[in-house]
Formats: sequence, structure tokens, C-alpha cells
Amino acid sequence: MKYKLTSDKNLLLLLFFSRFGARSKISRDLWQSSPNANGWKCLNLSESYKLGRSIHRSLRGSLVVSPMAIGANTSQDTDDMYDDMFKKYGKVVYKRNDQKSPTAEVDDDAECLAFAVALAKIASDVKAADIKLLFVKPLVYWTKFFLITTAFSRPQIDAIRTRINDLAETQYGKFSTGDSKPNSWTLLDFGDIVVHIFLPEQRELYNLEEFYANATPIELPFENQQSFNR
Amino acid sequence: MIQPQTHLNVADNSGARELMCIRIIGASNRRYAHIGDVIVAVIKDAVPNMPLERSEVVRAVIVRTCKELKRDNGMIIRYDDNAAVVIDQEGNPKGTRVFGAIARELRQFNFTKIVSLAPEVL
Repeated sequence: MKYKLTSDKNLLLLLFFSRFGARSKISRDLWQSSPNANGWKCLNLSESYKLGRSIHRSLRGSLVVSPMAIGANTSQDTDDMYDDMFKKYGKVVYKRNDQKSPTAEVDDDAECLAFAVALAKIASDVKAADIKLLFVKPLVYWTKFFLITTAFSRPQIDAIRTRINDLAETQYGKFSTGDSKPNSWTLLDFGDIVVHIFLPEQRELYNLEEFYANATPIELPFENQQSFNR
Repeated sequence: MIQPQTHLNVADNSGARELMCIRIIGASNRRYAHIGDVIVAVIKDAVPNMPLERSEVVRAVIVRTCKELKRDNGMIIRYDDNAAVVIDQEGNPKGTRVFGAIARELRQFNFTKIVSLAPEVL
């Protein structure tokens, strides 16, 4: 890396860059576009650093001090200050405060999993078929678990919906948003858990399991009734 | 800012390609619709051999607008196009997949079904 140097200004700039080790960031164009007045040639960066130091010392000693040199002096003071701070603290990367610790996150997930399994148990009690619990947290940020079930009639959907809502409100203190009436695709949104209750036709039509095929399926601890209509 | 006569793209695989807004559901004299609002629209262009046809009147939810959406934290989201997802009277999407990025505000407006079919949520 050889650059043509033209004036003191360039030299001091170079001094600044070389102190911060940002050699690769100096664009070559910057140096080549400046007018070549003095015709100093073939200085690499470490040499220019030494040269800059010596010039700086000579400027300090002389009576006539140019404004440029004063600026350089203050910048060197701040450079020293930064050097000291780097030595003292090192490179600090700050984290956002609202991030949870990994252990707290695991606890949170476990709590949600317990809740989801309880909901699945309720659905199974009301004879919902083909119950699947998917851990979708790695795929989407907006929720953690999907509970997908099939019911065979609207009254059954209504039964599952009301029982799930009752359990969530009484035992877990969570309230759902989503459908308030039985629907061919009824969705209950508990924030971290989203419950989908389908009629068999809709289940096949929307095929959510295929869309979230990369999600981890979670084994349920009870006998799962398979859909017999398929 | 969607108003009657605005043309919108369709962001699902329902079979419609282009919609024209003819009414905004909500207040009686509402002027503009934004992300998450339901509109009544007519299909101006449709894919052949699909259940939805041209000149059919449908309901749709707006999922993308060129007009910027502001959030409380100062974030502003603006899309390149106006797009909607066709729904039925119950609020279920008529298509089975949603295309393109959508905003998470749809979940607050109780369109979690659309959000769960979308490939990307902003």
C-alpha cells in the first residue's frame, strides 16, 4: 500500500487513521484525487506515522503554530483518551435491556408447553381428533406453539372452544382473542399459543401442518384419537 | 389510503388477481381504509379455471398499503403496492396461502388466520 502524500493535512489525517488501525478503510481514491503539490512519494503507513510524529514534535517546538496543528494536538489528546479507555474497558458491545436471559426463556417455554399440553388434553377429552402440537418458535417470532385439532361438527367445535376458554381463564388466567363463534376454522389466540380447530374439510384444505412442516412436533402424553374420516 | 375505485393486488392463491374497492366496511361515511380494514371489492381480473371469477363481489382485508403505517415506537412501514386478501363472510381466507410480507397489526385486528398463513410477518 503506497500512497502519494501532498501536504501536512494529509499526513495528519494519515496519522489519525493509522492510530486507529483503519488502514483498509482509507479509500485509495481519496488520496489520489488530492492535488500532488509536493510530490512526496512511496510512504507506507507505518513510515508516515513516524514522520507525522516528528513533524508534530517540530510544530510544538516552533513559535508559529498553525491552526491545523492546534487541531491535531487536541485530536491527539482525545486519541490518547480513547486509547486509555480501550485499555481499561476493552471493546464493549452493549446489549438491549429488554432481552430475557436464556434460562428465563427456557422457563417461559416450559410454562407455555405445560399450558399447551393442558389445552390438548381438554380437546382430547371432547373427542377432538388428530391433535397436533407444534413448536413453531424457531420459525415465527409472533407465537411459540400451534395446537391443531379436528372436530367433526360445529357444536363440537363450540364445546372445545368453551372448555378451552374456561380452563385458560380459571387455571391460567389467560384470555383468548380470535373467533367468538364456532366457525369452520376456529382460531383461539392466547398469545404464546394459537389453537386451530378445523372441520375435516378445512383441515385438508388449509393444510397447516404442511405449511409448518419444519416445526418440531411434540409428543402428547395421552392416547391420540386418529381421524377416521380420512 | 384505500378508497372506492382503488385497484388492489391480491396477495393469496384464491384465484383473483386484481380487485377494485367499492365500499369500506365500518362507519357509514368512511373515506379511507388502511391495513387491517375490511372492504367490499369487485374482482377485475381473475386466474382462469379457479372458483373466483371476474366481476364477482367479495370481501377482502387490506394487508399492504403504499401509505405508510406508523407504530408507537416510531417505526414506519410502507410497501410498494396495495394488496388485499379475499375472505368470506365468516372471516376465513378464501385462499390457502398468503404471499409476501404482512404487518403484525393484522393480528391485533383478529386476522390471526391470515397471519398464520403468511410466510413473513413484519
